[in-house]
Amino acid sequence: MVLKIFFPQCCNKADSGLLVGHWLPGQDSAVVLAVIHYPFIPGQVKQYIHQVGCVGVGWKNEEAGGEGKTKEEKTGEEGDKVIFVHYEQRKVMLSQLHPTDPPVPLTQSTSELRQVFGTVSQSESLFFLDKYDDSPVKLTHWQSEGREGSIIVELMKQASTPVCLLTAWILVVCSLSVSVSRILNVFPLRFISSKLCSCVQLSYRTEHLQTVSSPTRATSHTDYMRKANIFMSFLLDVTLGLLLIYWLYRENRVGQLANALLPAADRVAKELEELLQWLMGAPAGLKMNRALDQVLGRFFLYHIHLWISYIHLMSPFIEMILWYVGLSACLGLTFALSLLSDIIALLTFHIYCFYVYGARLYCLKVYGLTSLWRLFRGRKWNVLRQRVDSCSYDMDQLFIGTLLFTILLFLLPTTALYYLVFTLLRMVVVMVQGVLQLTVDFINSFPLFALGLRVFRSYTLAEGVKFSVLCEEPGTPLHLMMDINPLKFSSVVQTYRTATYSCYPKDSWLALCKKLFLGELIYPWRHKTTKID
Amino acid sequence: MGADSGLGTGPGPAVPWRKVLWERQPFPDNYVDHRFLEELRRNEGLRQYRYWAVVREAGLVAQQISCVALFLTLWLYMEQGLLSPSTLLWSGLLCALLGYGFYQALGPQGDSDSQQRTRWSDLQSASIFLSFTFGFSPVLRTLTESVSTDTVYAMTALMLLAHLVSFPYAQPSPPGSLSLNAALFASVCLASRLPGDHRASRGLNSSSPSSLHTFTMLCWALLVFALWPCLRQRLRECAPQGFGCVCLLMGLSGVGGLGSIWPGGAVLLAAVLGAVTLLCPLLLIRLQSDKDNIHGPWDEAEIREDLARFLR
Repeated sequence: MVLKIFFPQCCNKADSGLLVGHWLPGQDSAVVLAVIHYPFIPGQVKQYIHQVGCVGVGWKNEEAGGEGKTKEEKTGEEGDKVIFVHYEQRKVMLSQLHPTDPPVPLTQSTSELRQVFGTVSQSESLFFLDKYDDSPVKLTHWQSEGREGSIIVELMKQASTPVCLLTAWILVVCSLSVSVSRILNVFPLRFISSKLCSCVQLSYRTEHLQTVSSPTRATSHTDYMRKANIFMSFLLDVTLGLLLIYWLYRENRVGQLANALLPAADRVAKELEELLQWLMGAPAGLKMNRALDQVLGRFFLYHIHLWISYIHLMSPFIEMILWYVGLSACLGLTFALSLLSDIIALLTFHIYCFYVYGARLYCLKVYGLTSLWRLFRGRKWNVLRQRVDSCSYDMDQLFIGTLLFTILLFLLPTTALYYLVFTLLRMVVVMVQGVLQLTVDFINSFPLFALGLRVFRSYTLAEGVKFSVLCEEPGTPLHLMMDINPLKFSSVVQTYRTATYSCYPKDSWLALCKKLFLGELIYPWRHKTTKID
Repeated sequence: MGADSGLGTGPGPAVPWRKVLWERQPFPDNYVDHRFLEELRRNEGLRQYRYWAVVREAGLVAQQISCVALFLTLWLYMEQGLLSPSTLLWSGLLCALLGYGFYQALGPQGDSDSQQRTRWSDLQSASIFLSFTFGFSPVLRTLTESVSTDTVYAMTALMLLAHLVSFPYAQPSPPGSLSLNAALFASVCLASRLPGDHRASRGLNSSSPSSLHTFTMLCWALLVFALWPCLRQRLRECAPQGFGCVCLLMGLSGVGGLGSIWPGGAVLLAAVLGAVTLLCPLLLIRLQSDKDNIHGPWDEAEIREDLARFLR
């Protein structure tokens, strides 16, 4: 049987005394946490040990530099092979073994490593006394030279509670006012606010702030990391937003932007008009049905005309609106980007309308054609059995059905072409909006704090350990040095990503193509509702 | 194992072979005795055709072909401007009324109540047809404007062939969906290729026909393909001798009509009709003697009993 003893490095050079630690049942291991030095009163020591819940073992150390070659005198296990594993207590104390899923109470079934880490981190109360404290027991552990602390951290801890309370109060007031106004007109406001990205982003950020500003301490490591990540991403967001504001307002760029906006909208409308004129002719040599072509083309042209008049009507107010909108970037770069996405959606609303008209017309036509094709063959869709059955139609049904089928069939190329053109346009707009959303999503969910931890204090996020041999001589027990293996960067990002309303494609490529073919309206990006993990 | 196929030559075992597999027999599993293929029956239920009966039935196919030819003749007349659409329209309506009169006269004499009702529903159907066709004519007129003429002719030919192939010759009274639809589709294609009325379409492209042409064409298509088979069926049921005369008349008028415009076509049509009516039955009867179907106990079982006795 092999006995493993986990020995803190800081106790290597300590004076002789009593080893205090935990015995891990079922793993044949012992974790040494501290050394209590002579002289001590056994009764007090026993009381103290019982208080912190450990097990004491007697030990003698040869007081020499370097590694202490110790003799283990644990009773009952003489003659077994013993392995000493040296570990650096501070690092193991502060680190968190990943994956952090298994439950905190250590049971027999958790792995040995996890039990070791858990034992050390749970014995925090043992490490309070350092050598400057005046107490009957004198300990040596990693904090015995003096408790670790910094003034800034202490000040922040003191200041955080009132700040949190204040923030929470402000948030409650804001949400109350929003909900009051919501009661007034329920349906339109909620629908609109669910469609606009900026409202969604605002509500999302409010939720985040509520999480961060809750006055209770984070209980588990995951909660703590989450809070820290949210806070850091919020800071980054606001910083980037302020930078953007500085850049925008410095040389009156807002004015330039507003002046450039109107000609851009005009140009877009002109391009669309030319496109429609091209379609009304003989586009790409395709033969279209002239009458239908003219009707559709004129209809869309009239729409564009309406839209341009509307934009011209709004032109005096654009600069002012843009100025105020630019100011709102102080709430964060993500908010500014979502506002931009909303503005794009509003400006290209006519393209969206065209797309809907074209898609509906095409969908109707395809539906009619499939149904009439079945009539052509003398069949019918059986709704009860969900299959196609034969059916004997009346003469009038047959006649009218055939006429309609012929008409729809010959008008199909025209409608299909209009549908194709407007779908492509809509796809372009959706792509642009999607890119913006992805950026927003990225900023929202990036775990900056976790990455910072990984870079500067890589031992806090541990994936596993590695052992190196310190001393291997026959006749003496094996000495190993345990070092912490930090988590890979990709795992850090994956584990600590904040759950967002990430937009990702709703359908696979095949389903998307099928929907396009049948003329169903597609909304390719889907928002996941925020889930608290 | 010792059992081999040479068992028939040696002294036979005492146990005769039975055609069962659940008993162990001293024969191999694939052994058969002299009663092999005893139950084979050849050409069971073979019908003996008689020539003139088959010719009479084949006459139906010939009739339908000549119907199609008649329709094409009308279209050719209108295309070359020999007949004005209004003349054709009025004559079509007249034929329809006459045909309806015949239909009612030949029909089974029910009570006047149901006759009134049928007349009313017939009137309804007729008005629906006319209004729809008239309403859709302007749309149908320019439907195939952008399609090339060759494509249109090819589509028409395909559709008429489909019509002939899928026509329910045995029971034409409710016309089959596919055949009627194919015929109507072909007529719409043809109707859109008629030359225009020059007075009406002065400003437009001269190749687009006027609405009246389209309307006439569709009315005649309905008459020829949808209503005439019903009348024919009624005639066949009630006055078989008249039916034979009508058949002959149809064939002759088809050939004659085509001949007045296109003599080569008339010759072709006559050849096809002759082949279908006279040659094909001969072939059928000749080849009947080469038929060799085998039936036996390996066929699928057919349930011949009346299972209604289980429903009681």
